[in-house]
Amino acid sequence: MSQWTEQRPAEDFHRILAPDGSLDGEPPDLSAEDLCHLYRSLVLTRAFEDKTLRLQRRGELSIAARSRGEEAVALGSAAALSADDWCFPSYRQTAALAVWDAPLDRAMATLMGLEPETVDEHLPVESPPEVNFTPTYVPLAVNVTNAVGSAMADRFSDRETVTLSYIGEGSTSQGDFHEALNFAGVYDAPAVTVVQNNQWAISVPAHQQTAAETFAVKGAAHGVPHERVDGNDVLAVYEATKEAVERARAGNGPGLIECVTYRMVEHNTADEPSVYRDESEREYWAERDPLDRFEAYLREAGHLDDGAIEEIETEATERVDDAVRRAREVPASAPERMFDHHLHTESWTERHQRSELRAELDGRNPFTDFTGEGLDGEDTASKEGRVGGDEDGSDSTATDGGTTQADEGTAREEGVATWDGGERR
Amino acid sequence: MSRTDAVESSESTSEMNVVTAVKETLGQEMRRDEQVRLLGYDVGPIGGVYRATEGLYEEFGPERVIDAPLSENGILGTAVGMAMRGERVVVEIQFMGFFYPAFGQFMYTLVKTFERSGGGLEVPLTIRLPYGGGIKASEYHSESTETYLAHTPGVRVVCPSTPAETKGVLAASIRDPDPVVVMEPKNQYRGAREPVPEAEYTLSLDEARLVREGSDVTVLTWGAMVPEAEIAAEEVDADVEIVDLRTLSPLDVEAVLDSVKKTGRCVILHEARRTLGLGAELSALVNEYALDRLRAPVKRATGYDVHMPGHEIEEFYLPDAERAGHAIEAVMNYEF
Repeated sequence: MSQWTEQRPAEDFHRILAPDGSLDGEPPDLSAEDLCHLYRSLVLTRAFEDKTLRLQRRGELSIAARSRGEEAVALGSAAALSADDWCFPSYRQTAALAVWDAPLDRAMATLMGLEPETVDEHLPVESPPEVNFTPTYVPLAVNVTNAVGSAMADRFSDRETVTLSYIGEGSTSQGDFHEALNFAGVYDAPAVTVVQNNQWAISVPAHQQTAAETFAVKGAAHGVPHERVDGNDVLAVYEATKEAVERARAGNGPGLIECVTYRMVEHNTADEPSVYRDESEREYWAERDPLDRFEAYLREAGHLDDGAIEEIETEATERVDDAVRRAREVPASAPERMFDHHLHTESWTERHQRSELRAELDGRNPFTDFTGEGLDGEDTASKEGRVGGDEDGSDSTATDGGTTQADEGTAREEGVATWDGGERR
Repeated sequence: MSRTDAVESSESTSEMNVVTAVKETLGQEMRRDEQVRLLGYDVGPIGGVYRATEGLYEEFGPERVIDAPLSENGILGTAVGMAMRGERVVVEIQFMGFFYPAFGQFMYTLVKTFERSGGGLEVPLTIRLPYGGGIKASEYHSESTETYLAHTPGVRVVCPSTPAETKGVLAASIRDPDPVVVMEPKNQYRGAREPVPEAEYTLSLDEARLVREGSDVTVLTWGAMVPEAEIAAEEVDADVEIVDLRTLSPLDVEAVLDSVKKTGRCVILHEARRTLGLGAELSALVNEYALDRLRAPVKRATGYDVHMPGHEIEEFYLPDAERAGHAIEAVMNYEF
């Protein structure tokens, strides 16, 4: 049975909490309140993701990808950020959103496939998280390059903000990962990159991704300080990330942290792991579960007891159920919404194709325009929407953040909030 | 359709070629807005391989004129991240044929971020992309592959054709809240000079430019082919109207249709390969919306469906005034 699919010997990494929850090192300076918030966020993450699985089985979600057993990676690392920092998550970092109290209803609605404008309209952000989150990235590795650019902007503007991004071990084989780290190194960008090494990238094990001894050492080629930690130990993840984040904030450049964990569940609901891996591996890793471990520690330290745990679990279930209820109440998007937010102005092509779709929806024939003047004289919209300010030196911008068609007020007032409530500054 | 050059309305002008116009515009925009930053390979002390950023490193320093590692995808990916944070980044890619490594970031983040954030995150980024043949460069240095870009929503693709156009279009692109690819016809970089207004100005990113009015046949073209069309117009026995598209995506369809409906004939002139080149879309639009006004089939005078040949024989690939003239004559002589 291969428990460690990397080349490196097992458990040769930074660890604070042993698998049984006993201390294996000096714990970071976190208050009882902070520790309980971490625990609560972990429970919430698991409850949220388990709900997505059930909703997927019922057909309410087309797909769900869980981080069960890996939650400590995103949890501990995102917790090391401060207000105004930026986070560029991929799709297995629900815990990063949870720990910063990002609105769960918006996250659920997005997973339900609702258009972002519809989510904004019906589930507006009431209190945005203090950390800025980009929308979750689906394509792999490209978020890391963008995150390094974000960090470069901070450095060149003398801001003390740090940008954190996530990548799986499989995606460290992508060019974007190396390009991003290279730029981060060259510009001393305040960018911290977390490799969530869950040892399986769909069906391919970690040792087939690289001949390098670890994923952390990939930082060495780019002059980026790197560390390898027990990814199921939330305290070790927090401490390593905190150190990297504060080093970056102080102007001392980027960091790379490999968090060693294990994908306890399917890659996503379209996957069947028993086809390609020995499921008995899970038994080994089940004993290292980040929730059980952290819970044992908190009980031993006197921060949690049965009553508190029950309360936290009940609250998590209620919050998730509430998020699902609110997301389900969002009405379906108008089909024409697919045209929104491609450019700030409406082109002839967009105007015509919108009216073609409208005709189709109304049961009319959309192919009756043989002159380019539009269907049934509908095509009267918005030449004023054109930008460019001819030869007068004026700013060529439309500022409403929306399209120029005068239908149903799709442009949002807030204009700058991202789906999970992050805000552009 | 814009009918006049910016030149006419201005009092104070200087003689510029395209590359000088680029340099002047970048400097002006950087002075106007401190969030304008340049990112690219060789853009620093050497001033770019074409010297389009000459002197800017000295004036603005290494944090605004940023020499990048040799990595087009890294350049575009970090530029997108900077733009998401409100910087107005101007990326220089040395040759269109070097853009392909950046296609991942182009497809995944540049064109998608505004849309998938529901309008929450803008990417005010400009990519300067020298394109085209006719400078006797080696392979991969002479391409016109704008179709790959213009097929993709969420980004503007524009192509100024003269020094004065270059200044107004580039300034508008930098100020625009959407990503813009500015294709610069590099065989015009050091070509004809013309008086360009010294003051700041912008030109429309949505409108084509009427280069020459005529009644017999419309030539739809852009970039380095505009002067070829102008020569052809002088040589043929027809009253030629020339429309410089200026914006390749989104297209100024009204300008195209208005002109073709008026003349009843249409020739499309572009450097790119023919199959699925932008001429295919233009021809389709004319057929869909102006067929009953046509007095001849649409003809496309373009490059051939081959890889850009080496410079020994590139002149036989590139369309020119002669090829354009033949196309014009053919449609003029056609009778239904």
